[in-house]
Amino acid sequence: MTEKLPNQITLAHGAGGKQTSALIHEIFAKYFDNPFLTADDAAVLPRPGRKIAMSTDGFVVSPAFFPGGNIGELSICGTVNDLTCMGAKPLYLTCAFIIEEGLETAKLDQIAKAMAETAQKVGVVLVAGDTKVVGKGQADQVFITTTGVGELLSGVQLAGAEAKPGDAVLVTGDVGRHGCAVLLARDTYGIDAHVTSDCAPLWHPVSAALEAAPDIHVIRDATRGGVGTVLYEIAHQSHVGIRLNAEDIPVDPAVAGVCGMLGLEPLYLACEGRMVMIMPQERANRVIDAMSAYPDTQGVCQIGVITEDNPERVVMETAIGAQTFLPEPGTELLPRIC
Amino acid sequence: MTNHQHGLSDSLKKAIQYLKTYDGPPVRIMEVCGTHTHEIFRQGIRQILSPKITLISGPGCPVCVTPGGYIDRAVALAEDCGATVCTFGDLMRVPGTDKSLSQARADGADVRIVYAPEDAEKIAVENPDRSVVFLAVGFETTTPSACLAVDHAIADGADNFSILTANKTMPAAYEAMKDSTDIFLYPGHVHAITGMADCRKMEKEGVSGVVAGFTAGELISALTIAVKKFEAGETFCVNAYPRVVTETGSLEAQKLVKKVMEPCDAWWRGIGKIANSGMKLRETFSDYDAAVRFDLPETIGKDNPGCRCGDVLQGNCRPVDCPLFGKVCTPEHPTGACMVSSEGTCSAYYLYGGVK
Repeated sequence: MTEKLPNQITLAHGAGGKQTSALIHEIFAKYFDNPFLTADDAAVLPRPGRKIAMSTDGFVVSPAFFPGGNIGELSICGTVNDLTCMGAKPLYLTCAFIIEEGLETAKLDQIAKAMAETAQKVGVVLVAGDTKVVGKGQADQVFITTTGVGELLSGVQLAGAEAKPGDAVLVTGDVGRHGCAVLLARDTYGIDAHVTSDCAPLWHPVSAALEAAPDIHVIRDATRGGVGTVLYEIAHQSHVGIRLNAEDIPVDPAVAGVCGMLGLEPLYLACEGRMVMIMPQERANRVIDAMSAYPDTQGVCQIGVITEDNPERVVMETAIGAQTFLPEPGTELLPRIC
Repeated sequence: MTNHQHGLSDSLKKAIQYLKTYDGPPVRIMEVCGTHTHEIFRQGIRQILSPKITLISGPGCPVCVTPGGYIDRAVALAEDCGATVCTFGDLMRVPGTDKSLSQARADGADVRIVYAPEDAEKIAVENPDRSVVFLAVGFETTTPSACLAVDHAIADGADNFSILTANKTMPAAYEAMKDSTDIFLYPGHVHAITGMADCRKMEKEGVSGVVAGFTAGELISALTIAVKKFEAGETFCVNAYPRVVTETGSLEAQKLVKKVMEPCDAWWRGIGKIANSGMKLRETFSDYDAAVRFDLPETIGKDNPGCRCGDVLQGNCRPVDCPLFGKVCTPEHPTGACMVSSEGTCSAYYLYGGVK
């Protein structure tokens, strides 16, 4: 930790003067350094050869640190994965911090470090940023907004409306782990279970899948609302039904246990490193082979199929061979998980 | 890493086959527990039953049987008495005569969701200048924890803590419902606390039942036992959940409840007053009774006249027979309590039913 910064962030660090530049220099420049990140008012960037995709996302997770990650890592994964879903290689990111007065400087350092490491893993650079400090109680430790630009791969056409009857439905790993980890980290329930977030940037495994099967129809990251919400969105957009086999849905036993106690459905708990992918059935094995070679997607598997029946609904084939609807995403008060 | 269980066990397959093809005398089985109702729908168990087997969802969801008047009193505590009202989340959206607790909170009342009565007691300890009331609803499974919170409040000197009781007991419900069914599927969690005595007593009166667990396998196996014994013409009482339910139950919990509470008559939404079917604080603990402390009048409350929750709770009609079901009454905008609670019969029908 640096000597030039006090132990806590104060309002002066956001005032634009000497202390702001100390903060930028000692934390952000230290971790984010690259040729595009300058002291000027905007980053000047080379133009990509193909179409670009652009996305933005705000991160307010509470608590900011949870087993398996922190808000910094999450803020990179979220935007990288949004670009990835469109088949766009993430190139540039910007980030804006809103910091609550009194945040420990060491925590901010850890957050920035996690951002830099996650960005490096994907090969994306942080080209511009902003820092504001607000009074005690006006934010919860730190909020981060990231915006990303990516370059579309050629030959891919991904959209939520592209799912076709007969297609295979895959998830890239066990479901609901991030949401469960954050719930437990809040310690509201007094449940002692070891669950770590699945938070991960998925560009590399997804680009491998697209290389193996460029005709994948839909890719969605199952963040807020979980896999269940994403499936309902796709069913609505494509006017199709989705049939899942309950026994094929991968759930970590600890997550299943916590959900059992609290009456939660794992399919509605957030993930931060899981994609729902829909493709012609004959491509499914090729995609599974390509993705299972990567640690973050080694649990990739097929959980169901797209159907003409029950349009705009998700049907579960249960363990005893009956069929029930997966309840539509409800109006429960869900905690802030991203 | 996963819950893959490809292929059911042979005994479970056989049991499913038996329930599918059963062709004996028609049999009605009432599950009395809201968690059973929910799980039966979630697993689609009704679909695999022969048309000769009818499942009836009984009055076992504590939120569903809590009368509107109770909500009115809770709202009055928060709004007129200025108390901090702590409740399980399920009660928030139950309609009262004028408003729900959720609406009261939106209007500025201090209503908080807790996950256990002891959390409410903690809030009382941390806020000695506030009156903190816990809304004690539930059956034998949750009553001990409400008693424990009172016990803790005494130990902590938290005399700003009280509870508004609407606790209910199952045996009186069994008595009230016994003509509506041939067999009870008894709630495993309740009998884990109370033991088997109440079920044995029903058997002596000629009423059959099976104590069941909550997984698909446990439910299928309990149903199979029930139908087989019924087909054989026996009157029976079977504990099909022995890994959790013992003959005596939890003596410690029973002792605690006996110390703090005593039986009383209670109102059940849609059913009416059932003698000795409720629990209230004993006189010696009346300082912790919110109804006494705030001198709350007994109110019955008004339900929406079109709502058929009462008939649904007694198994007299199916949710789909109610004119409000799925039209004005949905989980997002519930009219009746059976749609509010995730364990309510109407909610289960709405959420899981109707696959083509």
